[in-house]
Amino acid sequence: MDLFGSILSVAFFAQVLRLFTPYYLGASAANFSERSGVVNIAIEGFMISAAFSFALFSIVFGNPFAGMFFALIIGILLSLLFALFTIKLKVNQIIAGVGFNLLMAGASKFLIVLIFKSSSNTSRFESFYQIPLLKDIPVIGNISGDYIILFSFALVFIGNHILFKTRFGLRLRSAGENPAAGESLGVNVRLYKLYGVLICGFLASLGGIWLASNQNTYSDGMIAGRGFIAIAAMIIGKWKPVNIFFACIMFAFFEALEILLQVSMPDFPTQIIQMLPYFITILVLIGFIGKTKPPAADGISY
Amino acid sequence: MKAVEFKNITKTFGNFRANDDISFSIEKNSIHCILGENGAGKSTLMKVLFGSYKKDSGEIYVNENPVNFKSPLDAIKSGIGMLYQHFMLIEDFTILENVILGSEITAKTGINYTESKRRLNSLIDKYKLDLNLDDKVSDISIGAAQKTELLKLLYRDSEILIFDEPTAVLSPIEVENFFKIIRNFKEDGKTIILITHKLNEVKEIADEVSVLRKGKLVYSVKRENLDIKELGKQIIGDLELSIVISDDNLQAPEAKAEFEEIDVLLSLQNITLTENGLTKLFNINLDLHKGEILGVCGVEGNGQSELIELISGLNKNYTGLYSKNVRKISLVPDDRLKKGMIKEFSIGENLLMRLPGKNVFSKRLLKEKEQEVIAEYDVRVPEVGDIMENLSGGNQQKAIVAREIKLNCDVIIFSQPTRGVDIKASSFIHQKIYNEKMNGKGILLVSADLDELLALSDRLAVLFKGKIVKIFAGDEFLSGKQNSKELIGKIGQLMIGMEL
Repeated sequence: MDLFGSILSVAFFAQVLRLFTPYYLGASAANFSERSGVVNIAIEGFMISAAFSFALFSIVFGNPFAGMFFALIIGILLSLLFALFTIKLKVNQIIAGVGFNLLMAGASKFLIVLIFKSSSNTSRFESFYQIPLLKDIPVIGNISGDYIILFSFALVFIGNHILFKTRFGLRLRSAGENPAAGESLGVNVRLYKLYGVLICGFLASLGGIWLASNQNTYSDGMIAGRGFIAIAAMIIGKWKPVNIFFACIMFAFFEALEILLQVSMPDFPTQIIQMLPYFITILVLIGFIGKTKPPAADGISY
Repeated sequence: MKAVEFKNITKTFGNFRANDDISFSIEKNSIHCILGENGAGKSTLMKVLFGSYKKDSGEIYVNENPVNFKSPLDAIKSGIGMLYQHFMLIEDFTILENVILGSEITAKTGINYTESKRRLNSLIDKYKLDLNLDDKVSDISIGAAQKTELLKLLYRDSEILIFDEPTAVLSPIEVENFFKIIRNFKEDGKTIILITHKLNEVKEIADEVSVLRKGKLVYSVKRENLDIKELGKQIIGDLELSIVISDDNLQAPEAKAEFEEIDVLLSLQNITLTENGLTKLFNINLDLHKGEILGVCGVEGNGQSELIELISGLNKNYTGLYSKNVRKISLVPDDRLKKGMIKEFSIGENLLMRLPGKNVFSKRLLKEKEQEVIAEYDVRVPEVGDIMENLSGGNQQKAIVAREIKLNCDVIIFSQPTRGVDIKASSFIHQKIYNEKMNGKGILLVSADLDELLALSDRLAVLFKGKIVKIFAGDEFLSGKQNSKELIGKIGQLMIGMEL
């Protein structure tokens, strides 16, 4: 089989765009939070919690939209809790994030055993009904027919517009850059930080929901570090929605390549391909590809 | 009409009376200067007016109506604007974004940039602020940053403007420009309250002056009766000054005109320094001698900081010959908060960090050293062992000066040693610098304060675009000090690149 031909195929391209979705939702989530000055490394945890609760409620109600609704509600409630710790109680944000990650991973495992009597996954469920007409477009039907994928593409423009062209975005960013300056001009800094954290919880949850809906089940470990890669993508993308888009495409490309190689060249050590995105991330972080500068007051309680 | 009237304002912090029964009024459409040492209560009074502090008792009238501001936002709404000493700007934002934040003009889909720009540009033109709205604040000069702050006030229609030591961070040219701008404000009917330490500024611009000392109003005078010497006395109280810097007394005792070759401590020959393709210093030739104060002046950003980094050994990427006859050099840096100290450490800790041979020390030694500094340099601390952050600016600076002098190096670099420091502390620091010169030290004094430079320097080098355009020395300089107005005029021209 011609590997190069496969990479150039429409099907491979479509695969990249699908894998892009959870990365971009996670990275945008982290970006909204950090732009408001709150470092949230619990993207992974929020994705786990949403993927699991989406599976659970989809099974309970027999309807994926109900599952999504409750998964998002839970995601937002958990963000409120995260906001309580980081904004109101001014707990160290990294420690709060680590706590949330460990809590979500543990709780989902515990609940799987408790509810589904299985050590690793929930039972299967019916995934989203796809968008009529759009889903029938040949080859890219499973992209153009998917609500969440379409939303994540739109988010590139929506996110950019909100952050850089609106009053809301300006004030949110002022909270992340210099909260004292914002406050001296009447900006309710803590409220905007809360907005940032809530949007973060919402978007990260959507990423988790997509992953579970894609597999028609939740299985333990299925998020597989995507929440952390999303944070790396945000840093590589220099906290800018459009740049983050390209960073996420890169990570999705390598993941798609890895899957392709597993199928087409079973003897090729795919670990090397798996390594690549992390290797690139490290290069970026040591300043190899230009300077990356976080919001000035990122991670500092106010 | 009175723009602001204070009636019996008292504000206490614990047992400390920061404002003690202060009453005076500020005429509308005037420039009113408030003078006093650090800790005299000026900033407290302004914060009470601006709603940042709640007063204990007394009344405030704005435009002859009683007011009771609960927060600065109330004050802003009543047309009062405050220019903070430390800028409240967001580095990563453009000037436009910084100005409109919190009071944005919006259209349906977001911020209306066209209308915002139109309004701001008309203000920029009207007051000749010379700003480009799309510039990022991280890329602009301190002077432009300050104008951005002014634009924030104008955009919010402030009629009463409070300026807290606005010129402390500006170069002489920028100061002149700033004064032009605030005269324009006055012409436009606005009222200006100016907090300052600099007597010559008061002389230049004030319509009326109020002096605070230890929380009380001690002196008020109108422009017609202004006497700078009297003002100096009122600010400091009954203490005598050794060097009061004013127009009447610009010559420090025993300024030297001639130096011997053998006394050379540092020598720079044909030094050129290039950074990122930009020439920061070009063909510098400069000697520093024993017992000399070598002044360096220039508009900020013309090579002063590079020169200091080079001489102190922080930057070694130069070409040319730099020879030292001394082992160590000490440095009082320009930005005391960022470069001069660890503000979370005590005076003693900051001192021992720099003293050689003190790898292990006892608490007793720490306390001993600290008390030594406190006593010798008259540093006021809330309590012994308190962290530097809790000291006032002048006291922090005195502690840093103490530390660097105590290192006993043969060369001491002072960069902006009295920036933002009150008159009494300034005078104290000037005296210490002078003493070190008399002790045979070589002193490099880099300052934006021309009066300070003229009073202390034996020779004065003028930097422009990384070049030394002139070194004033010998009789020309010493006799020039007799006619300081003319000399300052000459130096000012050289600083902006004009030929004499």
